[in-house]
Amino acid sequence: MKTHKLFDNGSHTWLMFGRDEEKPEQIIDTNQYIVITKNNALLMDPGGIELFSAMLSAVIKQVPANKITHLFASHQDPDIISSLGLWDQALPSATLHSPWLWESFIRHFGMHNIHYAAIPDEGNSLKLDSVTLDFIPAHYLHSSGNFNVYDSKAKILMSGDIGAALETVEAPLFVEDFDDHIDKMKMFHQRWMPSNKAKNDWVQRVRKLDIDMMCPQHGRIFKGDNVKRFLDWFEALEVGLINKGSN
Amino acid sequence: MSEASTNYFVCVAEIAAKLDQATHIAQQLSLTASNARAVALRAGERAAGFRPLTDFIDRLAEITISSSKKINLLASRLSQTSADKVRADDAIEHFHAVYIKAKNSPYISSLDSQLMRCESVQEDLNRKYRRQIDQLSDELAMLSNELRNAVILATLSRVEASQAGSEYQEALINVADNVEGAAGKIKEHIKYSQQMVSILEEY
Repeated sequence: MKTHKLFDNGSHTWLMFGRDEEKPEQIIDTNQYIVITKNNALLMDPGGIELFSAMLSAVIKQVPANKITHLFASHQDPDIISSLGLWDQALPSATLHSPWLWESFIRHFGMHNIHYAAIPDEGNSLKLDSVTLDFIPAHYLHSSGNFNVYDSKAKILMSGDIGAALETVEAPLFVEDFDDHIDKMKMFHQRWMPSNKAKNDWVQRVRKLDIDMMCPQHGRIFKGDNVKRFLDWFEALEVGLINKGSN
Repeated sequence: MSEASTNYFVCVAEIAAKLDQATHIAQQLSLTASNARAVALRAGERAAGFRPLTDFIDRLAEITISSSKKINLLASRLSQTSADKVRADDAIEHFHAVYIKAKNSPYISSLDSQLMRCESVQEDLNRKYRRQIDQLSDELAMLSNELRNAVILATLSRVEASQAGSEYQEALINVADNVEGAAGKIKEHIKYSQQMVSILEEY
C-alpha cells in the first residue's frame, strides 16, 4: 500500500493511501484518504475488509490509532466500508460520519463501539481542531445517499466515485493527459451514475467551490485545470446508460 | 446427513436445524397420543390398559418438544457466541498482521491497548463458548435418556394392543409403531447433534 502526501500547511495534512500491490487480484483497487490535524484525524472511505490490515498498517505509520477519532463513509458499498467491523475493534471511541439513509444498512458490517453520526441530506460540517471539513451532497452519484468531503483551506474535494476510473495498481496517481483518461472513466460514470439531473445539479454546485485537487475513490487524482476539464466533460456526459446509445 | 463439518459455525447451525426437525417429529408424536386416546376410548374396557399409556406418550412428546426448544435456544446462543468469537479472532489476526507489516512504525504501540482489549474479550468468549457447549451437551444427554423410555412404551403399547380385540388392534399397534419410529428418528438427530458437539469441543 502506497502513501502519498497531497497537502500540508502546518495546521493539517492530507494523505492518500492506495495502489496496494498485495491486494487480491479480483478486488477493485481503491484510494483512501486521511486528514490529520493537531489532535485528530478523519479517515475517509476506509475500504473493504480485504484491505484492512494493509490500511491499518499504512495509517499507523502516520498517526497513532487513538488519534483517528473520525471515519467517513461516502456511501454504503463494500469497497467503501465493509472493514467497519474491524475498525470497530481498533478504534472503539471513533465517530463514523455517513449518510442518514444508510445507517441501518451500514450497521450490518458490525458496529458496536463506533458512534454513527448521520449526515442529513443537505450535508453538514465537521470541525477537526482548527480545520473545517464540509460534507457536500452528491446523491445518486452513484449511491442514492452519497456525500463528498470538501476542505476549503486545502482546496481539496474528496469526490468518492465521481471521477473514478477502473485501473491497475500500476496506474499513476495523477491524471496526466485528460483526453487520454476519458476512456478509462466513461463507462464507469455512464453505468454507475443513474441520474443526469442529479449529476448536473452537483456540477453546478461544485463549480462554485475553489478546488485545486479532486480526489476520487478509484483511479487518478485531478489537479489544477484538469478539475475544470472533468466538470465540463461530466456535465456534457449522458449518464444512466447500460452502454453507449442504448437509451 | 452431511459430513461432519470442520467449521464450528456450521456445526452450531446444524445442531439447531436437527433439533428443529426433532421438534416437528415430537409434535407428530403428540398427535399420535391424541389419536391413541380416541381409539382407546372407542375400544372401551378392552383397551383400558392402553389409556394410561397415551398419557406417557403425551409426556414423552412434551419433554421432547420443550427440551428441543431449550436445545435450540442454547444452539442459538452458542451461534451468537461463535459469531462474536470469529469476529474477535479475526480482529486479533488482523492486528497481528499489522504488527508485522508496520513493525517500524513510531505509533505501533498505540495499538497495544486495543489488542489487549480484544484478547481479553476473546478469553471471555472462549470461556462462555465452553460453558455453553457443556450446557448443550448435558441437555442432549438428558433428552437421549428420556427417549429410552420410548422403547418400553412401544413394547407396552403392543402388549395392550393385543388385548384390545381385532377391531382396534391394528390402530393401536400402529400407535406403538409411530412412537417407536418417532423416537428412533429423534434419537438419530440427537446422535448427530452429539457428534457435532464433540467437534465443537475440540475448538
